[in-house]
Amino acid sequence: MDGYLDGQLDPIANQTIEQHLRECGRCDQAFKTQGSLIRAIGNATPYFKAPAELRERIQSSLREETSQHPVRNGVPGAQIQFHKRQPEPRTIPLEIPWNWLGLAAAIILGAIIVLNVVPRLQRPGADQFLATQLIASHARSLLANHLTDVASSDQHTVKPWLDAKLDFAPPVIDLSSDGFPLIGGRLDYLDNRPVAALIYERRKHFINLFVWPAGSSTTGATNTMSRQGYQLLHWVDSDFNYWAVSDVNANDLQTFKSKFEAQTSHH
Amino acid sequence: MPRYDVNKIAMALPLKTAHASQTEDLSDPKIVKFVVVKKREEQAKEEITSFEEAMLPHLDAAHNLAKWLLRNEQDAQDVVQEAYLRAFRSFNGFRGTNGRAWLLTIVRNTSYTLLKKSHAVDLTTPFDEEIHATGHESVSPATILEHSEDSDLITEAMDALPAEFREIVVLRHQEGLSYKEIADIAQIPPGTVMSRLARARAKLKEYLAARMSK
Repeated sequence: MDGYLDGQLDPIANQTIEQHLRECGRCDQAFKTQGSLIRAIGNATPYFKAPAELRERIQSSLREETSQHPVRNGVPGAQIQFHKRQPEPRTIPLEIPWNWLGLAAAIILGAIIVLNVVPRLQRPGADQFLATQLIASHARSLLANHLTDVASSDQHTVKPWLDAKLDFAPPVIDLSSDGFPLIGGRLDYLDNRPVAALIYERRKHFINLFVWPAGSSTTGATNTMSRQGYQLLHWVDSDFNYWAVSDVNANDLQTFKSKFEAQTSHH
Repeated sequence: MPRYDVNKIAMALPLKTAHASQTEDLSDPKIVKFVVVKKREEQAKEEITSFEEAMLPHLDAAHNLAKWLLRNEQDAQDVVQEAYLRAFRSFNGFRGTNGRAWLLTIVRNTSYTLLKKSHAVDLTTPFDEEIHATGHESVSPATILEHSEDSDLITEAMDALPAEFREIVVLRHQEGLSYKEIADIAQIPPGTVMSRLARARAKLKEYLAARMSK
């Protein structure tokens, strides 16, 4: 009954009830009474509007909040880079209880520990995990007939497509003349972020080249891995992280990398 | 044959100097810091403005819900302020279209945190959900209806309801929210919203009848 009176039932249920109400006077009467009661409750329940000073309190607390934490959604790189130069505000409003400050200090200390210690402890494991993700992604791209989102050997088609979909502009280079024709591009999700996948062909074998912006923690070292019959090659330049994954032999992948790097350095 | 055209160099010089000083400025940490701080301030301002535009129109709804849950003006204001701050902190993550329902969810959760802290409600005690015969059936529906327009009496009857029933009456009757929206805010299935609402109304009716037969 309440569902009907609140207008929250589907059309078929509504119709069934209306049909019945036309035939049954007692129900009709009961529904009418309940409907009046529902309206009366709505009308008679006092509505407590917010006093004007509450609006002002909220507005000033929002401004205080931002002056204490100046950047919350800025460019992450900028935040990290300039963090050390930024002196912490010395003035602490008196209305903050000390236990909150203690909590805040604990959270900051915790964050420092997590940011500094944990990555060092987990670096090898994280790489292994990433390698597993990369192989899975490569294998899936071949299995599910979803190798490319944009199939084109023209780098000037693939690049704008990827640029529009991502928050970075990956280098896209056709290496046909070096024996690695570009097949197309795809979006993928790795290492907790959307990444660009460039697909190259090498004598009927495919190479997935995953590209995403280089974080501050990465080093310039080249890293090779061989797992489950797949070759993985990782390198970093000033802007990007590259992971090439394929079933071609390790030498071919090295050649691919050097050709790719030679071309990117020209750009 | 001279390798350089002297005139060309002279013309190029001022440009080059301007360019050089620009790069110098950007490498000066103080200026970089100043630019960054300015940008942050602007960004913070924009952030506040867009948040306020989206959320301040729901201030009355937020206050009304908090007041009905906490039954105390000071607590209600504190909770609403806290809820707005919480909402602001996670506003970047908010991608939905129903800002009112999102805000009311935060107001509700903040209210319950306070209620639990002050042990004003024991949420583990199940409310007597069955409507028992109370001996007030003799009061005619017309009489009940007449008294249901009495605001003081309705307020009393509302106060007698447990908070988790009261909030559903508020959201449905005063905010006109759908069962689905109420379900999202109260984190219960829509079917439970319907049954709680029916029980709440029956309880209100029963309360009014009891008052009249006295």
